[in-house]
Amino acid sequence: MRVNSQTRAFRRLRWRQTRNHVRSLWREHPLRLATPVATTSVLALMVFGLSLAGFHELGRHQAPFSDSLIAGLFEVLFSALGGMLLLSTGIILYAGLFTSPEARFLLTSPASAARIFVSKFQAAAAFSSFGFVVLGFPILVAYGLVARVSAWYLVLLPAFLTGFALLPAALSSIACLLLMSLRPRHRRSFLIVLGTVLLAVIGFWLHRVGVSTRHAITVAHPDALRALAGHFTLASHPLLPGRWMTDGLLAAARGEIVPAARALALLWGTGLVACAAAIALSTRLYRTAYDRASDGRRRKHRISGHWIDRAMAGLVGYLDTPTRLLVVKDFRSFRRDPSQWGLLVVFALMLALGAANFRSFTTRTPQGVDLSVIGLANLAGTAVLLCAGLSRFVFPLISLEGRRFWILGLMPIGRRQILAGTFAFAATCSTLAGLAIVVGSECLLGLPPLAILIHALTITSLALGLSGLNVGLGACLAQFRETDPSRIVVGPGGTINMVIGLLFLTVTLTLMAGPLHAATVLRHWQHSPATPPPLWIFAGLPLGITLSGLAVLLPLRLGRKALEQAEF
Amino acid sequence: MIRLENVSKRYGDTLAVDGLSLHVPPGELFACLGPNGAGKTTTIKMLCGLLKPSVGRVSVGGFDLQTQGDRARQLISYVPDQPFIYDKLTGREFLEFIAGLYGMEPVHAARRMDEVIAIFHLGEFVDDLTERYSHGMRQRTVFASALLHEPKLLIADEPTVGLDPKSIRELKRLLRQLADGGTTVFLSTHTLDIAQELADRIGIIDRGRLIGCGTLDELRSAAAHDGSLEEVFLRLTETDPCA
Repeated sequence: MRVNSQTRAFRRLRWRQTRNHVRSLWREHPLRLATPVATTSVLALMVFGLSLAGFHELGRHQAPFSDSLIAGLFEVLFSALGGMLLLSTGIILYAGLFTSPEARFLLTSPASAARIFVSKFQAAAAFSSFGFVVLGFPILVAYGLVARVSAWYLVLLPAFLTGFALLPAALSSIACLLLMSLRPRHRRSFLIVLGTVLLAVIGFWLHRVGVSTRHAITVAHPDALRALAGHFTLASHPLLPGRWMTDGLLAAARGEIVPAARALALLWGTGLVACAAAIALSTRLYRTAYDRASDGRRRKHRISGHWIDRAMAGLVGYLDTPTRLLVVKDFRSFRRDPSQWGLLVVFALMLALGAANFRSFTTRTPQGVDLSVIGLANLAGTAVLLCAGLSRFVFPLISLEGRRFWILGLMPIGRRQILAGTFAFAATCSTLAGLAIVVGSECLLGLPPLAILIHALTITSLALGLSGLNVGLGACLAQFRETDPSRIVVGPGGTINMVIGLLFLTVTLTLMAGPLHAATVLRHWQHSPATPPPLWIFAGLPLGITLSGLAVLLPLRLGRKALEQAEF
Repeated sequence: MIRLENVSKRYGDTLAVDGLSLHVPPGELFACLGPNGAGKTTTIKMLCGLLKPSVGRVSVGGFDLQTQGDRARQLISYVPDQPFIYDKLTGREFLEFIAGLYGMEPVHAARRMDEVIAIFHLGEFVDDLTERYSHGMRQRTVFASALLHEPKLLIADEPTVGLDPKSIRELKRLLRQLADGGTTVFLSTHTLDIAQELADRIGIIDRGRLIGCGTLDELRSAAAHDGSLEEVFLRLTETDPCA
């Protein structure tokens, strides 16, 4: 009786929260409601358009759609998405179960551990699989349209996608519960060893993929391509859900309903069994795990000054003392939050991987247009990573001051200085990182000094402009009630910031670096690569620098006004 | 109602609660005092079943918190020092959620909701979203939700923080009424006046140990000092236990 009452109470709670949230947004901030819907639709349409073009291209080259090529693509796609679901659900569920005030409140009520777990699990699975559906659905629909598949494929597609999301979510929740309840006494050492082993395994695999890729490109022989494909055979293992998903979808595409239904039943059956196992486990382990998590939080740690903080203070030594102290405070808060620097590690790994890939091209010594394209791709890739990094780490900084903002608000420093400090922190870190990556990798690639100089100027302008945008818009669109940085980033304000940042990036890249590469292509077409570059390649530089200046000044001015009007 | 038997709680190398034994009978208003970091909140969290004792046994209403936690929590209401409330619910919707959580019959729940809304004067704002509430309004709503299901044990951690003088006076009268009506009240506070005015017995915790427990007169005897509770408290807590 009480269990049914609790189930109803939780169901009603979620429904009312959603309804009230949408209503208050609709009444007070209709733009905030429309923005995520619009950006999600635009993103889905872009993915759909790109996939449609890609599959058309494959069709133009008479690639057989039901053959092993598509199966291989799907298996790798689903394995990658499954891995991402596994990680993201685990991280969201950990925060929901062990660090949220709601979990602490519910655990002191008569709500059963399983009931609380189910509530948090549903929220985490829905949140993390949202991106998977938005990205996966358009790709698979595009394939269906181009390959002219059976109608069963489109009918069963939603059931396949939701079924596929179940298993990784359930597995990651089981891992989360086991890790928190059975973790060894020396947690830090255990996590360091676990992380090192995982990184070593992934690094070794990436190294082997890199070697095989280089070999395949160099010799261009079927054996080399087969060796490269061999590194991905795990993705097609018959025990993996990516394989069941692929088999089922391709069977549905051919109109073979029985094997498709069998694969669908296998996906849902395994997923539901894993969910049931996770719920059963939560009944036994959740309260113990929460107790142990509290144990870790309450241990005494003696924290003293760190050389990294002193290095950061040295980097912004050009600022006055109060602003420098604000920068070091932001940096210190950042480096002590594992959920923040954990993502930074992922960013760093991506950058290292990119740099290693570019490094591998040096064995082939690309020249002319090839070199120009690689250099532009390097610059654009670094710029996109900077944009993503600043949106993730800098945009939420002002919001994260939250209800503690009165401390800064009452300090004998102007709010202009608070913004200036955050901007200095973002601009210093992003400019140094961007310059190091671009100049370092392009020296390895052997780009001409003029190209390196223009790229360095471009990445500096981008780093400064993006820092200004993220700090200024972060203050204008601050969400002081939100404590989770990832929710601030994916919220309406974060989405607007990301879209504006990408637009700024595209225009600045086109203005500053575009003419140089256009001139290289023109000279290649005119068969005169040795002639000196024309003067018009510098024409976009002042425009780009001006745009960058505006991207710093205007958002910071708007942010300062918003911050000065804010009451705490 | 509350029984702690030789309870210790360890966080790594830190002993937060050290061999605590305590019995609080039904209908008693027990005030727990102690300096910051003495182990009061850890004790309360073990009483609610949020934390498990490293050693010892905690039971509420005869139910062991570790083996019959859900049944024990059915008897308890906990008002923490930083109460949680869903921002996107109205006060009334929050009360309805609590009623569902405790499995209250709809008719009984509706009657009790009207009662607690009247007791805590929530009528003016109970249908607004709680995100717009002031600290005092939130605190009153949380108290209303805590008393909705007529708990056998009310645990309150610093309940008067953020309340205006009138609300504090009403809260004090209510806590006394609850205890007189048979509800056990376990109060953790730094406001010694409240403890002196309301409590049937007072427990003083310092460095995880119960260094004094009894009526004010019994504490005076233990401290060998015939002064106010403040003086007795300072004398007991400033004595080095290792000396």
